[in-house]
Amino acid sequence: MQRREFFKKLGFVAAAAAVVPSVSFAAEAAAPKGPNEFSFEEALKAITGSKGAAASDKIKLKVPEIAENGAVVPVTVEVDSPMSAEDYVKTIHIFATKNNNTRCIAAHLTPANGKAMLSTRIKLGTTQDVATVVELSNGTFLMAKQNVKVTIGGCG
Amino acid sequence: MRLALKTAILLALCGSLAMASEQFSMSDEDRAMYEEMLENNPAEIMIESGGELFEEYCGGNAELAKFLGVKEDALTEYLAGFPRYIESLGMVAGIDQVLQALMHQRGHKPFALKSSEMFEISSYVKSLANDVAINIDVKANKHMKEAYAFGKEVFEAKRGKRGLSCLSCHSKEVIGSILRTQPLPDFRANNTAGTWPAYRMTKSELTTLQKRFQGCMQNALLEVLPLGSKEMNALEVYITERSNGLPIAIPGLKR
Amino acid sequence: MSKVKSLVKIKPKTYKSGDIVKVDFVAMHPMETGMRKDKTTNRFVPADYINSVKFIYNNETITTMNVWESLSTNPAISISMKIADAGDLKVVFTDNGGSVNEKSIKITPKG
Repeated sequence: MQRREFFKKLGFVAAAAAVVPSVSFAAEAAAPKGPNEFSFEEALKAITGSKGAAASDKIKLKVPEIAENGAVVPVTVEVDSPMSAEDYVKTIHIFATKNNNTRCIAAHLTPANGKAMLSTRIKLGTTQDVATVVELSNGTFLMAKQNVKVTIGGCG
Repeated sequence: MRLALKTAILLALCGSLAMASEQFSMSDEDRAMYEEMLENNPAEIMIESGGELFEEYCGGNAELAKFLGVKEDALTEYLAGFPRYIESLGMVAGIDQVLQALMHQRGHKPFALKSSEMFEISSYVKSLANDVAINIDVKANKHMKEAYAFGKEVFEAKRGKRGLSCLSCHSKEVIGSILRTQPLPDFRANNTAGTWPAYRMTKSELTTLQKRFQGCMQNALLEVLPLGSKEMNALEVYITERSNGLPIAIPGLKR
Repeated sequence: MSKVKSLVKIKPKTYKSGDIVKVDFVAMHPMETGMRKDKTTNRFVPADYINSVKFIYNNETITTMNVWESLSTNPAISISMKIADAGDLKVVFTDNGGSVNEKSIKITPKG
């Protein structure tokens, strides 16, 4: 079926058209390949520089343990933060660590959001960890990840 | 015994033997996440388009109410009772077939039942009855009685080389069993008739209940019945009756 | 380039100044990764996806996003927003082909 072929193709390394994000990451000056070919580890390094990201329970990462289908997987990230001018979440990144393009979305928030929350739906080509990296206004980085089992098949 | 055998054949056919274990059933938290997605359903955009088509080609609520012979303020309640016997069409019909007749009456070429325009426009019209309790009357007249009985017959008819019927996978005995990672639905508990048309995640499309029936038939290797046919309308009557009293809540969100 | 349809909604529907609400955004877009082969032509369908989204509340940009092709077809994104004055919320989104689309809704706090 079309969907099976789609997921097979996710593993195919194609020369995708180079796309330059309109908001670039500060530490991306020495990006190794095109922006669509970062592995999660490379992306993490590009985003956090030498700082790295600490696992944190301030982050609530909500993804299903078992995704009913790989085409539409809900992901929600909530970060415990006052979202004040002095202390707020600057960016929430979401990664599908085993997708051909691991990056899904990077939301640059401001105190006007009131709450550090990002919710969306992503395509997952296979069972993998979904990860989130959070940049705080004080320049530190937090992260969380969770494994999502992707069920292929189903009667319809 | 034969039912168990047929179900086993179907499981083998689908190529995987899934045990009804914890491993494949959705946790409450996961289920809540999927339910939350209803708040931001892409099908709402398609239904909005359907509304524009409805105004342009059918003349809106006033014209539809006139065509159906009901007062405009009674329209949504009336819509919640479909499929109905429509005298002017001489048959038990779905909302989509009524819209086709109305389009034709207004000098337009009607959208095909399987077209995306028809899915959009009929979903919009059904959504006018959101929150209204389904009130299909399968005893309203002899046509509805016949349709209900025929629908039950179609549901239970063993067809195709494997001799499978809808009942093979949708009987009381197998509700909740896992077939290829999905629990077999209870049409009333799931309010099937009230949650279709729905956005299908695996197809990224808004589709109708009869279209879903077709998908099911394809998977079970049964010959696919045409949309709007006597058999399909009867089947829809039979399944809709199970949701009597439950509110319409569309667009739904389905796998 | 044809206009891309989208919807912007606020939850809850009724809110007052100071409330933090949820903003739902959904757009009709194929989000082609560029790695799917069209069965009829046997060629790869070119990458075609929304790559940025901007939320502008009463002329102030409150959130910007980079989006990649891993988002589902007909992408849906939600964020939080603190209600201040009445006015409007505009969502502007672009795709990798350079098209720009937008959708505006009124912000009407009750009290």
